[in-house]
Amino acid sequence: MTASVSAPAKDQTIRLADVRKSYGDFDVLKGIDATVSRGEVVVICGPSGSGKSTLIRTVNRLEEINSGSIFFEGQDIHAPLKGRELNRLRSRIGFVFQSFNLFPHLSAVDNVAMSPIRVKGVPAAEAHEKALKLLDRVGLREKANSYPAQLSGGQQQRVAIARALAMEPPVMLFDEPTSALDPEMVGEVLSVMKSLAAEGMTMMCVTHEMGFARDVADRIWFIDGGRIIETATPDEFFKNPKHPRAQRFLADLRH
Amino acid sequence: MIHDIIAIIDEYWLLLLIGQYPNGPLGGLANTLILSALSIVIAFPFAILLAFARLSKYRVLRWPVTVLVYVTRGVPLLMLVLWSYFLVPLLTGADVPSFLTMLTTLVVYQGAFLSEIIRAGIVALGPGQMDAARALGHGWFGAMRYVILPQALYNMIPSMLSTFVATIKDTTLGYVINVPDLTFAASQVNNQLLTQPFQVFLILALTYYVICWSLTALTNVVERRITRRRAGLAAPRRQLSLITNATEQP
Ligand SMILES: Nc1ncnc2c1ncn2[C@@H]1O[C@H](COP(=O)(O)OP(=O)(O)O)[C@@H](O)[C@H]1O
Ligand SMILES: [Mg+2]
Repeated sequence: MTASVSAPAKDQTIRLADVRKSYGDFDVLKGIDATVSRGEVVVICGPSGSGKSTLIRTVNRLEEINSGSIFFEGQDIHAPLKGRELNRLRSRIGFVFQSFNLFPHLSAVDNVAMSPIRVKGVPAAEAHEKALKLLDRVGLREKANSYPAQLSGGQQQRVAIARALAMEPPVMLFDEPTSALDPEMVGEVLSVMKSLAAEGMTMMCVTHEMGFARDVADRIWFIDGGRIIETATPDEFFKNPKHPRAQRFLADLRH
Repeated sequence: MIHDIIAIIDEYWLLLLIGQYPNGPLGGLANTLILSALSIVIAFPFAILLAFARLSKYRVLRWPVTVLVYVTRGVPLLMLVLWSYFLVPLLTGADVPSFLTMLTTLVVYQGAFLSEIIRAGIVALGPGQMDAARALGHGWFGAMRYVILPQALYNMIPSMLSTFVATIKDTTLGYVINVPDLTFAASQVNNQLLTQPFQVFLILALTYYVICWSLTALTNVVERRITRRRAGLAAPRRQLSLITNATEQP
């Protein structure tokens, strides 16, 4: 652990400092330095296998790292923490998976209400009421009693977003939230994400939806080979990508 | 023949049902069922613990349990029964009742089998469920209790019923260490009659058959229902979990 790295300033919600990770001999993350400010929407893109999922999963420590630090609200997520402390930090970082990962044995409303009840000790009645409001917000109030198997992919992902929001996290992480969806369902999920961004949510999104990136992102991180090789505003990135690999990546996407 | 069987049942039904009780220890069918039920009830939580240990990232937990599971599964139950019968009193110096010896042996044996079923059930869910639970802030045990086990155990109900059937059959081995169960009662009857072993043991076989067949039939019904539910054809019950009431509305 690099103890010398100072805690970030207040408006930096997330700061990654020289984050490195390898699987055996294979270096997946080769020194990531970056910050996400409060209210900022960062879109992470890059070729498949470049380490995007690994990177975003290290932010709530679903993956361990080999060296470096990741500060969330000034606390190093990868420091030796008590289990309870790590759980508390994690509950403040929403995570949305490519494959939804809803709990199939629970109805939509219970998916959303369960963790506030079990993790935060919110009274069941209150948690259910709040869950219904959140389902309403993602347009699924009438599906509250449906089970995941009875929902379309787009609906499941919207429930998954509501589930993450139920913990009232100041930050939301998305790992390719629309990649597993049929094309006609991508829009409904992106529009929920857009409304979140509009309300000032701090977001890190791994996505290849360049329309979303253009409209919503404050900054784009382009990752290749385990490094962030370009950081730019959407305007700069789409009009004038500096790195040849980013140019090639964009050219490939346009085909 | 049918005549003989009816006569035997008429004469000895109480012995076959409850053994010497109340003049001696409880035995017969009652004891068989109690032994089976107790061993499955104890083996079940034991198996969950074994499965946790087998899935643990810590070697100190994983290795001994792995050895236990492999040894237990690789040795005939009769050997385990004889070992416990001769070894446990030797090691502890205590005079352990044969019922308790048989119960312990069955718990270890069925626990080892069930733990592999449970482990497979947990692994089959894939890592996504655990990831999702952890990302929401659940600890490992919380994730197990509210997310993983309700699904894994529900999916495993058929396997567990089959294990119960197997346990009932396995209790017959208690005969060799004089556990007063149904088999023991039947052999007592046989010893008194001497001339009708075929009839006596036919009654015994039929009794086991009827019990195990009914349970197997039940297993099939449950299995079909679960398959249908998993396919999303029938709306699942509101409350699937055996352990939590996470979903209960106040
Ligand atoms: N558990 C793992 N073990 C070994 N290699 C892995 C593991 N997870 C990911 N990788 C490798 O790390 C690289 C980055 O993976 P990932 O972060 O999923 O990429 P991306 O999300 O950008 O497509 C890939 O080459 C992948 O094969
Ligand atoms: Mg990925």
